[in-house]
Amino acid sequence: MSFEACPECDLLLNQTQAAPGDKAHCPRCGYLLQRPHKHSIERTFALSIAGLILIAPANLLPMLRVKILGNIQEGTLWTGVGTLLKEDMWAVAMLVLLSSVILPFVNMLLAFLLSVHLFYQRSNSHMIPWMRWYQHLYEWAMIEVYALGIIVACVKLSDMADIKFGFGLYAFIGLLIVNAMLANEFDSYTFWRRITELAEK
Amino acid sequence: MKRLSTALTHGFIRCHECGQLIKTKEECICPVCKGHVSKRRNKNLHLTAALVISSLSLYIPANIFPIMAVTELGSTEQHTIAGGIIALIRQDMIPIAMLVLVASILVPLLKLMGLTLLMLCVHYRWQVNAKLFTRLYRIIAFVGRWSMLDIFMISILTGLVDIGGVAKVIAGPAATAFAAVVVLTMFAAKSFDPRLIWDHQLNHD
Ligand SMILES: [Zn+2]
Repeated sequence: MSFEACPECDLLLNQTQAAPGDKAHCPRCGYLLQRPHKHSIERTFALSIAGLILIAPANLLPMLRVKILGNIQEGTLWTGVGTLLKEDMWAVAMLVLLSSVILPFVNMLLAFLLSVHLFYQRSNSHMIPWMRWYQHLYEWAMIEVYALGIIVACVKLSDMADIKFGFGLYAFIGLLIVNAMLANEFDSYTFWRRITELAEK
Repeated sequence: MKRLSTALTHGFIRCHECGQLIKTKEECICPVCKGHVSKRRNKNLHLTAALVISSLSLYIPANIFPIMAVTELGSTEQHTIAGGIIALIRQDMIPIAMLVLVASILVPLLKLMGLTLLMLCVHYRWQVNAKLFTRLYRIIAFVGRWSMLDIFMISILTGLVDIGGVAKVIAGPAATAFAAVVVLTMFAAKSFDPRLIWDHQLNHD
């Protein structure tokens, strides 16, 4: 008999494997211990490829085009970072760059690398560090918060400007959906188990 | 009365990184992921307390100083966080104004108060409904990142509204303070270990 422990209340539990589609909660504090999905690895693999493809247009194409008193200006995900840097707000600029551009990309890449290795059953000594990085960086990629920021910015601008949406915004919304689906499919319990099985082989 | 049973009282420590349960009473290196295994994250609360105090002291300048300056046809207006919310109310955008109010003012403040409550509970070994306190911790850890809303909005506005003297949005000094508040409270929530709440609870049945 092997044991496991709840990460939030440290209750000692008998190790069990929940059926795909089921959820296993801690009986004492209610923490979600497992929610295995059928084909978690295959779906993460597919979604991370879709995400990596969408990241390019979401970053490079203009998201919003505003017209203020006859002057037209376009903005990509990077425009705000550039302006903040020009205004010497480098700390804020770096934070925005990390949480809206760099870390979403790094996380997507890590999910891709992990799932591709597990899918083709290739062992790689970097998989454990990748998994640890993925878990730590996860909450610092904030594209869903950025999406809310776009909505509030549009409301603020609606008085003074005409706003048009660009292809970059559609790619960004696609990325948002893929990212949310990936977060739902990525089952770290299964991933850790499969990585250790692969390493022991 | 006995303490509640935990993996630790049974002689096991769970690895923070990979979840592996290790039969040990001392700190060690996890045999699975090579991570550092300790009984609890920041058992003495020093780090969490330091992060909470620094973000609380930055919360004041973040709310007093202007977070952005809007120039329209030559006249410049400075907005604080609260001023931006009032401007949204004047635009009759009440739901959006409420959203910004919650994300920028209430969430950081309630988060800091919640973390203080959790630390007091651990420090003074209060007998509490630990399930409820753990739920409070979970909410604190979940909502923190949504406070970045204001920072992202300012970044988008400064990038889009940049037409010489006609119309321009510039980020103000409070933006840096506010960004620091968000980052520090996220680290503070991460540094707190909810298992500390359970460690001193007594078994009542
Ligand atoms: Zn639990």
